[in-house]
Amino acid sequence: MEGKRTRVDIIEDMLSSIISKGGRIKPTHLMYKSNMSHGQMKTYLDDLVQKELVKKVKEGHYDYVIITDKGHEFAQKLKQMREFEKAFGL
Amino acid sequence: MVQVVFSPKWFWGKDIFIDSIALLVLLSIAIFATKYYKIKKSKNYLYLALSFYLIALSFFSKILINFTIYSQVLHTQMIGSIEYTQVILKSSEILSVIGLFFYRLFTLLGLFMLYSIYEKQSKANIILMIYFIIISIFFSKEEYYIFYLTSLIFLGVISNRYYQNYKKNKEKTSGLLAASFSVITLSQIFFMFVNFTKHFYVIGEVIQLIGYITLLVTFITVLKHGREENKSRHH
Repeated sequence: MEGKRTRVDIIEDMLSSIISKGGRIKPTHLMYKSNMSHGQMKTYLDDLVQKELVKKVKEGHYDYVIITDKGHEFAQKLKQMREFEKAFGL
Repeated sequence: MVQVVFSPKWFWGKDIFIDSIALLVLLSIAIFATKYYKIKKSKNYLYLALSFYLIALSFFSKILINFTIYSQVLHTQMIGSIEYTQVILKSSEILSVIGLFFYRLFTLLGLFMLYSIYEKQSKANIILMIYFIIISIFFSKEEYYIFYLTSLIFLGVISNRYYQNYKKNKEKTSGLLAASFSVITLSQIFFMFVNFTKHFYVIGEVIQLIGYITLLVTFITVLKHGREENKSRHH
């Protein structure tokens, strides 16, 4: 992606990263896959949890981030938005 | 006398149906662009939504004018009173002149706004263009083809812009969008020559319908493509 990522770009990258891992990912993997700093990751993750787009769960010794149905729907909307942008050259 | 009815009588109602389809397609795109604007807060989305709302509003004005004229004239015919018909036609004409003004104003403002998304305008340019739009609408009252010529130029430039976008990204949806706007542009040429024969109005409307159906297909493809990509990532 060219230029500085917007807030929507970052959220899209995060949700896409989770979906690409089957809807469940470790927070550290999410951080690397979404190309974010630790501080950035914490802020955005808290925001996504608050908006119920993802949820944090603990399985055994590990923490996981899971995408919710609402998160899937939002990711789909973002994909459609990208297609719309490409079609209209926005 | 101002020309208010462009359609041959046998086509009355059918043109309203075609314009209603255009209205629905434009509204659907405008509503989605508004939703995307709320997510991204990008001004391009806002202008795109506004331009489609304006063009949709122009179609709404046209539908309203035609519906009023057609239904009133038909009503008069059923009564069969010549005197009554004359009175109705006069009031219809006043309504049509006002309606036509708004139809033309909304169309040209919408197209200009759409054009401005791609060619950024200075404040002075915007004022100048609005002045020229109003002037062209004023002259269109006597010479109706001036309006279609102006919209032909706007649509031509926008279509070319979409074609350039398609050449750059080779996306199917960009190609469909360029095709739909090119077809809508073509329809304006037929509308320009309605005075030669009213059949040009019918041809123009049918071409315009093809253009708006292509635009609808573009929009559905955009929505479907977004969904498919997401599904494939999910599996």
